[in-house]
Parts: sequence; structure tokens; C-alpha cells
Amino acid sequence: MSASAGLDAARGARTAAPGEVLVEVRGLEVHFPIKSGIIFDRTVGHVRAVDGVDLTIHRGETYGLVGESGCGKSTLGKAILNLEPPTAGSVIFDGVDIASLKGEDLRKERKRFQMVFQDPMSSLDPRQTVEALLLEGMRAHGLDTDKAATHARLRELMSAVGLPPAGLKKYPHEFSGGQRQRIGIARALSVGPDLIVADEPVSALDVSIQAQVINLLQDLQDELGLTYLVVAHDLAVVRHISDRIGVMYLGGLVEESEAGELYDVPLHPYTRALMSAVPVPDPTVEDSREQILLTGDLPSPANPPTGCRFHTRCPWRQETRCDTERPELRVVEVAGASSGHRVACHFAEQIAAGEIERHEVEAELVSEGFGGPDGPPTPPEAYIAP
Amino acid sequence: MSTQRIQPAARHGEPLLAVRDLRVTFGRRGEEPFRAVDGVSFDVRPGQTVGLVGESGCGKSVTSLAIMGLLPTRGNTVEGSAVFDGEDLLSLSAPQMRDRRGADIAMIFQDPLSSLNPVIQIGRQVTEVMERHQGLSRKEAMPKAADLLERVGIPDPTARLANYPHQLSGGMRQRALIAMALACQPRLLIADEPTTALDVTIQAQILALLKELVVETGTAMVMITHDLGVVAGLCDEVNVLYGGKIVERGDRHTLFARPRHPYTVGLLNSIPRLDAPRGEALSPIPGSVADNLPWDSACAFAPRCPNALDVCVRQTPQWDGDDVVGLRCFNPMAVSR
Ligand SMILES: Nc1ncnc2c1ncn2[C@@H]1O[C@H](COP(=O)(O)OP(=O)(O)O)[C@@H](O)[C@H]1O
Ligand SMILES: Nc1ncnc2c1ncn2[C@@H]1O[C@H](COP(=O)(O)OP(=O)(O)O)[C@@H](O)[C@H]1O
Ligand code: SF4
Ligand code: SF4
Ligand SMILES: [Mg+2]
Ligand SMILES: [Mg+2]
Repeated sequence: MSASAGLDAARGARTAAPGEVLVEVRGLEVHFPIKSGIIFDRTVGHVRAVDGVDLTIHRGETYGLVGESGCGKSTLGKAILNLEPPTAGSVIFDGVDIASLKGEDLRKERKRFQMVFQDPMSSLDPRQTVEALLLEGMRAHGLDTDKAATHARLRELMSAVGLPPAGLKKYPHEFSGGQRQRIGIARALSVGPDLIVADEPVSALDVSIQAQVINLLQDLQDELGLTYLVVAHDLAVVRHISDRIGVMYLGGLVEESEAGELYDVPLHPYTRALMSAVPVPDPTVEDSREQILLTGDLPSPANPPTGCRFHTRCPWRQETRCDTERPELRVVEVAGASSGHRVACHFAEQIAAGEIERHEVEAELVSEGFGGPDGPPTPPEAYIAP
Repeated sequence: MSTQRIQPAARHGEPLLAVRDLRVTFGRRGEEPFRAVDGVSFDVRPGQTVGLVGESGCGKSVTSLAIMGLLPTRGNTVEGSAVFDGEDLLSLSAPQMRDRRGADIAMIFQDPLSSLNPVIQIGRQVTEVMERHQGLSRKEAMPKAADLLERVGIPDPTARLANYPHQLSGGMRQRALIAMALACQPRLLIADEPTTALDVTIQAQILALLKELVVETGTAMVMITHDLGVVAGLCDEVNVLYGGKIVERGDRHTLFARPRHPYTVGLLNSIPRLDAPRGEALSPIPGSVADNLPWDSACAFAPRCPNALDVCVRQTPQWDGDDVVGLRCFNPMAVSR
């Protein structure tokens, strides 16, 4: 792609070199208050969307976050971009604590991290042309001073994401889903970011289009040295695109590893169950592989289980420690597991060695909202109305 | 075509459902009518699971809704036939079709919330089906409903009878819907993306349940999905749709091991596989369905097809095959892949 040189030059001065730490997340918590009552806005509890996460993202790498819906992936992504204020903990971006930045400094720093969303349509203002959408960010960061240069840059952006320059005059609805995602990516690129947080960037797309967008993201990373945090529920997509993967369960990381190794040597029972549940488009594999079927649903993040949060569904759960002691991420001595591979399970070594037997788990009922199976039987009116 | 592609088991037995040349055309105000389903034919035999797979908009749901008589009738035309047990469903009156639905043929959808009544308890919704189609009283039906909930893996089923749909999780709701679908022991179950809205661990539970039920009850199933992975583990026979037409059909082992249609091959090459070696780039299908040519005078896939010949933009490729295996392509992939 010819666009790379120009796009790269437009980016600001950076300090971290490839491979160095770009983002450092320490003890991050994001809790949302649960309000109740019509007159008095009483807080009756908290959704612990992100509940104590440490992770490090290196410059130039792709870090993938996977886990079931509601486990806190998007909230973590937003908190890293300073779009969701943390309840506790910190995000250090290129050596600077984001929370400490104010005014002009914050604005300057902001253009260094951008977000790409799942549904390009809802994140693009339908009344603006593509040109206006791309200019918006550039203008906000004072990158549109020279008219000729701006014009050239817009064309570069379009070409970088594989869209014709004529598309600049069109509106989002005139594009297909895959093309709209390209526009979303162009917009993120327009201000020359270092880090792009992509939240389910291909989930809404058909597989043939998914592959186009995945390849585009990878090409852009190679050319521009971008750093990605890719948040997705599709483990096959995440494994394909990521260098390292963090597996989340109920607001916490339960395992972190180099992408290939995670598949070869999964250590956490949840990771193993998650991987065994992903269907593979190959009947021979499907017929022969062992599935670890989890019983029941994901517990509510407003009322997470004690101890290891996975203990209510874990087929390897033990009588001791599992329901009383929350396991920390740690490196374990297991054949094939490297020093960058961390897992939050008290019994990872024994499970890997086959010393602990898998057992049946009674399913526990978990509700989605409104009080659950034992809550009030009448559906709230807001629920009936639509 | 080699004879080994034909499974002897699939050959035997009369079809339970024979869909022939199904065409659905939507009239659109101020615009050309739009043909969403364009001559679709397939058979479902007792006990068989048949997959309809393809990307969004290729006509999967419209096909199933037309068979079930659930399409809005105003301005739309449905042609062809769908013979179920000797009777053409497309010729039935609305009340006749209503009796068939639920009794002989049941359907489950992607979003269980839209198929469950939010203000009626789960138990009553299940028993209502039995009252209507089996003539049971509610009192007789209740314990059976609890058995059914237990059968589909809902914990503490008797207590759950009193729950409203919103009190259950998405996965449990889909189970409740499956229980309702099974309430009258239908001979055919049509599942339209039943797991698309669910997390993969819950999807695995539901697919395992459906597989088990099909084996146990002998119910035939049509599985509609965009996910080739789901099809690979579940379906005896797979039909790949593109732009409203079936472009390839085969038993699942042959279709995945030796796909012949360039679109099928393109789809398989687009999917990142969890078990594939890492570091290989995906090969996407270029373009999008917006580039499609009209089937009337061409192969719709031609603008995106790496194998396209001159003839592909001038003539409609005809179906070469039968009710068990077949292909619609002028220049398919070589047999050895
Ligand atoms: N703005 C918010 N207010 C209250 N709860 C929220 C908010 N955003 C997310 N949540 C809750 O936090 C949890 C994690 O959500 P999210 O980060 O979106 O998960 P994921 O992206 O993994 O699906 C969920 O239970 C969700 O309902
Ligand atoms: N009621 C309708 N009126 C007009 N067009 C429709 C209607 N329902 C579906 N379509 C169109 O028919 C095509 C096939 O739709 P559908 O069968 O739902 O696709 P899918 O394969 O994703 O299930 C699509 O282009 C869709 O927009
Ligand atoms: S700590 Fe216990 S409950 Fe948690 S994953 Fe390990 S074995 Fe299972
Ligand atoms: S008929 Fe021609 S264009 Fe269509 S799939 Fe076959 S080779 Fe490609
Ligand atoms: Mg999310
Ligand atoms: Mg559909």
C-alpha cells in the first residue's frame, strides 16, 4: 500500500520502541452502581464489570481479550482508552498515568489511542459524509491546517483501507457492512494513533467479509507499527489475529499466554471448556474431539461467586480453596508452558498432570436481570412495553 | 460424480419433506420485485438432519418461513411446492397450516424472547401447546411440561414452570423454546440460527441437546445457520446457498473434505480455524453480495469468483445432481483438493 509513508509521518513523536511496554494496566476495577427506587435514587449494589485486572501491552503487538458476553471485555477496553473512569487501579500509557492528565495534555494524548467498534453503523453519524467523518477527528486534534495536505491525507486514508476516493462524498448508509467497518478503521487511523482498541471489529460481518477486515487490520499493523487490543468473543478470530491472549471470566483475567501456546497448552479449566466449545468446520475433527460441556450459565457480575469465580461451573473444582480463596494469576511449572504463560487456578499443575479427575457439575440457575428465578414474578413495565 | 459421495442410508426412505423449486418474490413499492429464494429444492428424510448454510441475506430464513406459511402475504408471491407427508404445505389454508405447525412441524428461532410471550409463565406456554394439539387438560399437561423442561436440561423444572421468560437467561430461554417445540413430538423441527445469539459454551450445550433429541426421538431436523462449524458437527447433509439458490450439496464429510463450488471453497478459506497452524493469512472472498449478477442471465457469484469463465456472465449455471448430491457451477474446483 502506498499510503503508509504519509500516514506514518502524520503520527506524533513517540518514545516507546517496538517491543517495549506501551500500556500497563494495574489493579484496574470498574464497578457500575445498580440503582433502585423511583423517587430516591438508591444504590443497591454494584456490577463488578472489571474487578482487578493487571495486564501489559507491548508496542507493535496485538493483545486479544476473549470471554463470554458480560465478562467485562468492552468495559476493560474502554477503561484503557479513558472512556470509562476506573473505580480503582491505573492505566499507564507510554509511561504516563492517564488519570493524571488534564486539558491540553489529555487532548494531545487522546489522539494516540483510538477505538473501532463492532457496529460501524451505530458509531458513524449517518448525516455526515465520509469526508466529514474523517475530518472531524483530524480537526479536533489540529491536523487539518494545510488544505492540500489534508486533501492528500484523506485520499491516503481511503486507499489504506481499500476504499475508492469517490467514497469520500458518500454517506455511511451507501456502503455495505464491511465497507462501513473500513470507514470506522479509517477514522481511527485519521489522527495517527499508536494504539487501537477494536471492540468486536468483525462480529457483525459475514465470514467472507470478516476475513477481508482481519487481513486489513493485519496489513495496517505491519505497515504502521500499530498496537492493537482486540476484544472479541470469537476465540478462533482472536487466536488468528493476536500475539498474546488474555482470557476473561467475570471481570478478571483467568489465563494469559502467547496465542499459539494457549491453544496447545490451555491451563485454566475455563479456557479448556471455551476452546472445546468452538465448532471447527471439519466433520472429522468435530466427531472425534472431546468436549468439556459447561453446565449452567455465567453467574451475575453483580453477585460474583466467592473464591475462584469459576468454581460454580468448574468440572475440576476441589473441596478446599476453590470456593474460599481467589486465585491470582501466576506462572506455573507445566511442560510446554513458557514463562509468559500465567493462569489463575489453584490446581493448574495437578489438572495438567491429570492428577485431578473431571467431575459432573450440577447446573445452577442464573438470571439475566430483573431479579432472576427467585426474584419478583412480574416483568417490569419497561420490559413489556416494546 | 463418484458414487462414494452417495450415502446408502440417505438414499433409503421416502422424504418426509420434499421442497421443490421454491421461489419467493417480495413486491417492493416503487421498486423492482425482489426474488429472495430462487428455485430451491431439497429433501428431508425421517431422522435426518439437513443443513442450510450461507451468509446473511442468502434466503435461509425466507425459505423456512415460506415452508411454515409464516411469510407476510401482501404483495409477495410464493411458488413451488413443499410436500410434507404427501400434502403440499404451500396449498394449505391459514387455519390448516396453523394446525400443522406445532403438531407435525415445529420451529425454533434465533431469539427465543421474540417467540415466548413475556407476560405468560413458561409452564402455561408449554402446556398450551399440548392442550391445543393433544387435547390434554392443563392439569394433565403440567407434569408433562415439567418433564419436558427437565429433559431439555433446565434445573429445578417444577419451580421453573411458574417463571416468566425474563427471569431466565438466554440459554435457558432457548431450552424452554425447544421444550415447547418438542411438546407435541413433531416429526420435523426447523431450527433457524438457534444458537447464534448465545455464547459458545451455551451454544455447545444447546447443540449437544439438539443432537441428542434427534437421535432419541427420530425427529428430522432442518438446521439453518451461517456457521460452517455448526453444520460440520451436526448435519447429515449440507446445502450451501448463495443469492437464493442452492449452489452445492453433499453429505458433510464429502462437502468439507472435497468442496467443489468456488463459493464453498471461498467460505472455508475465509474462516480462521482454532486448530489451524498459526500465521497463515486468510483468503477472503473478494467483493460483497452487492456485486452479484442476476441469476436469470449469469452466475450470481461470477464477479467474486476466482474460477469465472466467459460463460459465467452470460448463462445461468444449471443444477447438476440430484436430491443427495449436486453442484451448480460451470467451472468447479478439481476433485482432488
Ligand atoms: N454503563 C454500564 N452501566 C451498568 N452496567 C454496565 C455498563 N456497561 C456494562 N455494564 C455491565 O458490566 C458487565 C460487563 O459488560 P461488558 O464490558 O460490556 O462485557 P463484554 O464486553 O465482555 O460483553 C455486564 O454485566 C454489563 O451488563
Ligand atoms: N418481508 C420481507 N420483505 C422484503 N424483503 C425481505 C423480507 N424478508 C426478507 N427479505 C429479503 O430477502 C433476502 C433473504 O432474507 P433471509 O432469508 O432473511 O436471509 P438469511 O439467509 O440471512 O436468513 C434478504 O435480502 C432480505 O432482505
Ligand atoms: S481454582 Fe478451583 S474452581 Fe477455580 S478453576 Fe481452578 S480448580 Fe476450578
Ligand atoms: S459458475 Fe462460473 S462464476 Fe459461478 S461459481 Fe462456477 S465458475 Fe464461478
Ligand atoms: Mg462487549
Ligand atoms: Mg436468517
